[in-house]
Amino acid sequence: MRVILADDSMLLREGLARLLDEAEFDVVGRARDGDELLALVSTHRPDVAIVDIRMPPTHTDEGLRAARTIRERWPDVGILVLSQFARPSYAFELLEVGTEGIGYMLKDRVSDLETLADGVRRVAAGGSVLDPSVVGQLVGRPRRGRDPLDELTEREREVLGLMAEGRTNRAIAEQLVITEHTVEKHVTNVMGKLQIPASADDHRRVLAVLTFLDSA
Amino acid sequence: MRPRLWPITLAPARLALVPAALAAGIGAAAVMAGAPDEPPSGAEIAVSLLVGWSFVASGLVAWERRPDNVTGKVMVATGFAWFAHELVWATEPVLWTLGQLLESTYLLGVGFLLVSFPDGRLHTAAERWVVATAVLIVGPLQIAWLLLGYGDARGCACPDNVVQVADVPAASEAIVLVQQALGAVLAAGTIAVVALRWRRASPSRRLAIAPVLVTGAVLFALIIPWTLNDLLDEPLDDWPDVAVQLALATVPVAFLIGLLRTRLARGAVADLMVELGEEVAPGTLHAALARALRDPSLKVAYWLADAERFVDAEGRPVTLPEGSERAVTEVRREGRRIAALVHDPALADEPELVASAGAAAGLALENERLQAELRARLEDLRASRERIVEAAEAERKRIERDLHDGTQQRLVSIAMTLGLADSRFDRDPARARSLLDEARASLSAALRELRELSHGIHPGILTERGLDAALKELAYGARLPLELDVGLSKRLPDRIEAAAYFMVSEALTNIAKHADASAVRVRVQRTDGLAVVEIADDGVGGADTAHGSGLRGLADRVDALGGRLRVESPPGRGTVVHAEIPCA
Repeated sequence: MRVILADDSMLLREGLARLLDEAEFDVVGRARDGDELLALVSTHRPDVAIVDIRMPPTHTDEGLRAARTIRERWPDVGILVLSQFARPSYAFELLEVGTEGIGYMLKDRVSDLETLADGVRRVAAGGSVLDPSVVGQLVGRPRRGRDPLDELTEREREVLGLMAEGRTNRAIAEQLVITEHTVEKHVTNVMGKLQIPASADDHRRVLAVLTFLDSA
Repeated sequence: MRPRLWPITLAPARLALVPAALAAGIGAAAVMAGAPDEPPSGAEIAVSLLVGWSFVASGLVAWERRPDNVTGKVMVATGFAWFAHELVWATEPVLWTLGQLLESTYLLGVGFLLVSFPDGRLHTAAERWVVATAVLIVGPLQIAWLLLGYGDARGCACPDNVVQVADVPAASEAIVLVQQALGAVLAAGTIAVVALRWRRASPSRRLAIAPVLVTGAVLFALIIPWTLNDLLDEPLDDWPDVAVQLALATVPVAFLIGLLRTRLARGAVADLMVELGEEVAPGTLHAALARALRDPSLKVAYWLADAERFVDAEGRPVTLPEGSERAVTEVRREGRRIAALVHDPALADEPELVASAGAAAGLALENERLQAELRARLEDLRASRERIVEAAEAERKRIERDLHDGTQQRLVSIAMTLGLADSRFDRDPARARSLLDEARASLSAALRELRELSHGIHPGILTERGLDAALKELAYGARLPLELDVGLSKRLPDRIEAAAYFMVSEALTNIAKHADASAVRVRVQRTDGLAVVEIADDGVGGADTAHGSGLRGLADRVDALGGRLRVESPPGRGTVVHAEIPCA
């Protein structure tokens, strides 16, 4: 699997490359900023571009902008945005670009090679990846009046969180060590209790769940 | 122009009393001179005229100058009563009887003046009792004595008592005894009241009443031996009579002097105007006012309309006194409050004097007020700058401590764990692996700490996405449901965004700590060149910028941007923190 890295910190860029190399990804390009990244993507057409959100020259949201451009010009390139902070608003901005083959991950996760590799693979496979800490903030945020999430059982809340992270039913089943059929039942219950319109499409499901969590 | 004491012009109504007093005096002198046996000497008649005319003259002046004060009228009446009492020398029965009837009325007048000077009012129960007792002696008892026969002990060949209805010498003698006894008690009571008045009087009031009270006290002190002398068949011959007459002659003079001092104080207002017309050295206005009003304890408090508080000339906060210890007169200029004079309550007797001094000093007070306002602002600025520097210092210390005690220690421990893993690597790979896991977990924690630290110093999202997004992030992490109402069409300047962000952040911390609230509403708007930030909760209220460094720090921050922070926090009804910051 071919990936391109973009991070202005040489230390991180090289470290990340080494880790990905270790996980048997093929790192075909390393960029220091958005422009370099776009040039490299244009040349190499990787499966996934791993992009630091904060890069020169403005050190604000170059990663997000680059993601938007990449999605416009090369829609089949997966994008995994790395961020120092778990910010729901950035995650939503990113998901506006698209939910297919898009991921938002906290930089800390790179310390766990498994998690990093899993995220890159899911994005490459066209899935959505949302960092658990972002989902945690959305699920755990205080709500006015009666919290509809109180209706859910412990297991249903777990399923809701995993759905929001962008996981498929199969992945949820693996994670919770239950059958896919049981997961489906939980999903139906959650959507019913929260009155989220059911959708067979995983991507639409992610958006629906996140929108609910953000607005409820 | 300095007002002159003399000549004094009188209103026509009062002017008419002058010939009346002259006629009364001449009449009284004629009656005295025409007494059948042992008529008063020329000197005695002269002293009598002096006493009567002094009262009338000084009374007329007092009446003219202070028409609202009863003192002048009473003095005039006392003068006439004095001449009336000389009718006891008359040979004509009706005049003689009238003289007997009004014999002691002048003493009632003198007594009233003594206990009521300088404002002409009776304030205490003791003062009212003194006057009531005097009325009893010179009124009902005197009438009863006349009705029951004059019972004259002198055994003179007196004219007929035209109002006599019965001749009961025993009763009328008893009445005289009662009158004299009551008179002695009354004299003692008056001295006591006068002493009490003196003791309670403030310096400026003492200045006005000193001469009157001194002569009055001397007079009444002389009345005691005079009465005793009369009761004990004159063992001291008639020298107490002479002494009392002379003392009485000094009383109206004393009233004149007292009056003169009030006049001088009024003249001093004119002096003040002259003085203020010239250059007023900074800080001397207060002294000039104190001089003009003869109140060394006078204080000037300047009103700062913006801050809604009083300050002194140096700009230091001043609290206006409440209660009767001090009196406060507000000074307004063109309808606006500019200052307050805090003065001796005695000056409240002459409100127009204080008011005219205030009005005379109006422009100078306004100038001083502006300077005081400037000083107050400088002082506020200095204090807030100091607090900001202190807060920054404290913040740096906190960051240093967090880095040293937290992240740095963690990194050291990670280095040791890695060293340990390295040394175990060959011998005990399983142990080495668990040490590596440990190091990684520790690193995650260190990263989290660093992230929180850097976010606390300046939240990146504020720069990247602006206030709206930053507040939204804040809402995600808040412990309470947050209703955001951010109406900004474009971004605010950086420093205002930062101030607004930290204001909300700090307010949320405060609310979580103290308010016991169930919801918070945050409103940010930009209207008419102002950024308005408002945080309202439904908690217990009772917050105060004066206490708690959190709100104080917010106020300083807003202040530094030229804005104003207001905290409304009625107990039990939630707290609203409202800031308005100018932004072009």
